[in-house]
Parts: sequence; structure tokens; C-alpha cells
Amino acid sequence: MEATKQMLLALAGARGVSGDEHPAAQVAVELLAPCGPVETGRLGNVVCRVSEARAGRPHYLLDAHLDEIGLIVTRVDDSGFLKVSNVGGLDRRLLAASQVAVHAPGGALVGVICATPPHLQGDGDKTPPKIEELYVDIGMSGERARALVPLGCRVTFAGNHRALLDGSVCGRALDNRAGCAAVIRAARLIAEHKPDCGVTVALTAQEETGAAGAKTAAFAVAPTHCIVVDVSFAAAPGVPRHKCGEMGKGPMVGFAPILSGRMSERLVELAQREGIPCQVEVMGGATGTNADGIAVSGAGVATAILSVPIRSMHTPVERVCVEDIESTARLIAAYLHAEEATA
Amino acid sequence: MIELLEQLALIPGVSGDEGAVAARIAEEIKGHCDECVTDPLGNLLVYKKGKKRAKNRVMLAAHMDEVGFIVTAIGEDGLLRFDTVGGIDARVIAGKPVLVGKNRLPGVVGLKPVHLLESEERDKIPKVDELYLDIGANSREQAAATVRLGDRAIFDSDFVRFGEGLIKGRALDDRAGCAALVEMIRGELEYDAWFAFTVQEETGTSGAKTAAFTQDPDYAIVVETTTAGDVGGAPEERQVCRLGSGPVVSFMDKGTIYDPELFGLALAVAAREGVPAQVKEGVFGGNDSRSIQCARGGVRTIALSIPCRYLHSPSCVLHGGDAEDTLRLTRALAAALAAR
Repeated sequence: MEATKQMLLALAGARGVSGDEHPAAQVAVELLAPCGPVETGRLGNVVCRVSEARAGRPHYLLDAHLDEIGLIVTRVDDSGFLKVSNVGGLDRRLLAASQVAVHAPGGALVGVICATPPHLQGDGDKTPPKIEELYVDIGMSGERARALVPLGCRVTFAGNHRALLDGSVCGRALDNRAGCAAVIRAARLIAEHKPDCGVTVALTAQEETGAAGAKTAAFAVAPTHCIVVDVSFAAAPGVPRHKCGEMGKGPMVGFAPILSGRMSERLVELAQREGIPCQVEVMGGATGTNADGIAVSGAGVATAILSVPIRSMHTPVERVCVEDIESTARLIAAYLHAEEATA
Repeated sequence: MIELLEQLALIPGVSGDEGAVAARIAEEIKGHCDECVTDPLGNLLVYKKGKKRAKNRVMLAAHMDEVGFIVTAIGEDGLLRFDTVGGIDARVIAGKPVLVGKNRLPGVVGLKPVHLLESEERDKIPKVDELYLDIGANSREQAAATVRLGDRAIFDSDFVRFGEGLIKGRALDDRAGCAALVEMIRGELEYDAWFAFTVQEETGTSGAKTAAFTQDPDYAIVVETTTAGDVGGAPEERQVCRLGSGPVVSFMDKGTIYDPELFGLALAVAAREGVPAQVKEGVFGGNDSRSIQCARGGVRTIALSIPCRYLHSPSCVLHGGDAEDTLRLTRALAAALAAR
């Protein structure tokens, strides 16, 4: 468990805003190295061949997206404030007065997201800033800021990951470094005792901006089956109970039209048999994850999804249980080994 | 002064729970003052003799408390319900890391995920009632073992030097004023002076009421921070005051009409001493002046403020040079008032 936690902290400690996943990818490459040959694709996907694919045998793709939401610098104004836009589905309600890191080529700069002082807000005008009203304060003159910060620079929320009372981990980018940690941990479990089927890991780029990485990874790997690992809503005030799982109760096995019902059922069955906690998540249409694109890649890929329950998704204070990540990895390993038994 | 400010700003001191800040200040000025007492509300009242006897009693005040949160209930699910202490803009609360209680338990201000919002909800700031503190407790019992109702919580925000001479941190309002007064006490004074490190400014300037009654001053200088609106996208005429332009002198705010003669004198002393100063361009905010001015038969009062961006948020931002200049002006003005 401690190894899984350290892996999660290493992955989440590195930045990887969509389209600029390089630092997180580098950590992932090192963590995957013991599992098989690793390469980085043209769009930035990290692909590791854990078990060679063979004709006539299933070939499993284990997918987790590597990127995280963030901000991107679009303009530097004369007073040195950075105009920024969102990368992915940013929650505008929690931006004001947040400390951020501006990832300039010369090193990260400290910044604060500007908050309109109360006297400049209209009466009763309690609305979040619009994207076009967002600025980052890096405390520099326009001239100095322009010299240091090229347009296109990515910006992430600042702050270290912290352990909460029950040992759960809290911080930014757990969506979806939690999934990455689960997939890498599964690959480690599988690599010790290779199953009789092909297994390839793809930690994919640009999910938060439209799943571009998963599209090309699915094409390049051309699997027969896929297990996507992402995060999904954990119970919390305001979250409808039927739309969420619970923290610490294991991965949420997805059931949805686009997903392979057979795989989903088999995952639940195996979890029960192996004593691995799991819960069910039912979605009426698309899953809103990489699974939607991967399932329809090429001639079609039988796809399942396992989601790690997460609180406060897409905030700088996301929270996940390491036990859920470990259970997800164990369930994937059990599934692939059972595949071997059916051969 | 900035090192001292860092030390003071890292101590939690939400209104009504300023004890740790007071203890640290008392420690810092030990051996540098002639009298240091704590009054029944928790104000730290300090007297220091100068080289000369003061002709007038001059009170210098800075508040020790800060805005924050207070735990009001613990849910069956282990989540904490809370209320704000002092005026915190609802926009800066959601999604921030916090520290709860005396043991500084890490937690977060949780909220409904953006994905599950109706489109009109995305453009609404969540009310405090809709938010909760998540400390990672999974039951009421687990939470209650470490948190008590009434415990205070603060934003978890470190103290950082950044940009061109700027500082970012929590509680710079008004630990910056406290740091200035501590520096003043640690140095040599021209004239005798009375210092008040006050409590509960953010919840109604209660501490200043009793402090001013006790110290019974002829004049008062309130050393504060004030909202600077020189942020990205703000038009110049609405910026009110600016970082890097020195201490801010106010003629009026929402709580006080300042003594007009002292307003002029503050600017004249600044000019004479070569300290940059700026006039607050607008009638906003308020501070301990409102209580001090009305103490006993009335006290002639002026406020000198360090301009500060994003006040009452986890990321207060000020310019170190402004803090130093505010100290210089406070020293000079106090001497001028004592000698009148």
C-alpha cells in the first residue's frame, strides 16, 4: 500500500496540463520501466508493452489519462498581469485568490489568481469570474513578465499533496494520476507473472480537452479489449446519491451502453470471488471518459471502465483513498489472470 | 521586518482566539518595553518610555486577529459544517485547503463537482451553507475525536516572497501592522508611546474599544492594511491604492471620518521625511479607528495602511517596501503628535 501511495505522490507531484504532459510522463516512464519496453508516442502518450500480443489471443489495453486540467497564458498586459484561459473543465467558482505556479521555461514562478476586490463588485453580484476576466498576478512589471513568460505557458494550482485523517491523499491532479497509479501498479503485479494474453499500458495525453491521446493510442496499440481507469464522483453533500460511489469501498465498475456488459459483469464477479471491494456505477449514455473513444476505435474494442472514487473533482483539493487505487490494481490483475485460465 | 512578519503571519489567530499571536508578540518585545499587560478581552497593551516625555498620549494600534472559519456542527458523515468569522468574500472560500483547530489538522473546503452543476449553478458562488470542511473523517465519531465545535479554521497558505519585492501569505491583515509596531518597540523611541495589539477587529472592532478606554490617549494612529485594487483588468480610477506607492492615508472610510488635521499632518510628515505616501481614493472598508475615535470623550485618530491585494483571502499580497515605509511614517508621525 505504501508503495502505491508513493507512486501516486510521485505522479501527482509532477505537472502535466493537457498538451504539456512531459514532466508527469517522465515520472510514469520511470515507474513503468520494470514492466516492459516503454516509449512515448507522437501526442505524448506513454506506452508500455507488458506482455506481447499474439495472434488469436486477446490483447488488453490498460488506459489511464495522464493529463490534468489547468490554465494557459494567452497574453501579458502592460502592468505584468497574465491573461489566462482554461485548459479542460475548470471550476470558475474556486479560482479567486488561489496560489498558482506559472511554469515558465526558466523555472516555476509564484502567482496568485486575481480576485476582484469587493468594492469593485456590483451589489449582490456574487458570480464567479468569467474566463475572459481571469488574470494571474506574478508581481512583475510588464517588461519583466514578458521576458520571462512566453505565451502558451501552462499554469497549475500550487500546494503540496497532503494526507488527511484517514490517510487519504488530497491535492491537485489526482484526476487522473490516481488512475495512472492504479494501472502502473496493475502492470507491476502482472509483470511478475505474465498472463497468457497481450497487455499494453497507455497513459494517454489530452483527455481533459477531448480525448485526443486515447484516440491515437487505441489506433497504435490496436487492442481487442480495453480497461479504462479514471476517477468518478464519491458521495458528498450536493452529489446525488445515485450518481456516486463511496470513498474506500473499492473501484466503481461502470455499466453503460458503450461498455462491454460482459466485461463489466466479469469484473464484479471476480471482485466478489477474490474478496476485492468494488461498487457499481451505471451511466445511461456515454461515460465522458476515454472509454467512449477507445470502444469505437478501429473495428471496435470491447471496453470496461473502473473508476476510483474521488471527492471535489477538478479542484486543487481532490481527495482519493489509496486503498481504492490498490483494489483497482488488484482487480485488473485478477481479471487478466482469469483470462489466462480461460485460454 | 519581513522575517518578523513571516513569523507572525504563520501563527493562527482567528478573532476571539488570538492567544498564540499575543504570546509571540509578548515574546518578541520582552526586554524592549516598560509595561506589557493583557486586558480581559485579550488585548496586549504595551507602554514604552522614549528619550523624551510625551506632551500627548499617543496610542498606536494594530489588530492581532484575522478572518477565518469556526466549526458549527459535525455531520454523521464526518464532514464539518462551518461559518465564517469576519468578512470573507464567498468567492475565495470553495476549494481551498484549510487547517482546522489547534492541532492544525489538514482539511479542504469541499463543494459539489463542476460536472454535476446545472448551467445556472456554474455562474453562482456557492453559499457557505452549501460548503463543508472535509478532514478525511468518515464518521461523526472519527471527526469528534479530534475536532470540537467552536474550533477555528484558517486557510492553509504559506508565506512566499515572489515577483519584484512582493510577499504572499495568509493573515498579512493585520500581522503586517503588528510587525511594524513590534519593530518600533524594539527600536529607540523619541517620545513615550502606548501600543495596543488588539483582538476581534474583524468581528466588530471590540478589542479596540476596551484598549482605547484603558490607554486613554489624546491621539491614535491605527496601523493597518487596506484593499489595493491595482489588479489585472481593474481601471485606474477604481484601484483606490497601489502596491509600491507607500503607506495609504485615508480621509474617510466606511467606519470613520478621520481627523482632517491629522490627515494633512500625516501627508506633510511623509513629505518632510521623504517617505512615499498615497491617499486612499475612495470610501471603503473600516478598521479599529471607529472604536478608538469614540473612546471616552473622543480621540483624534488617523489610520496609516499598507496597501494589500486580495485582502481576507488565502493569498494576501503586499509589497515589502510599503511595509517598511509605513513603519517609517508611523514612527515620524507618532513623534510629531507626542511633541505637539
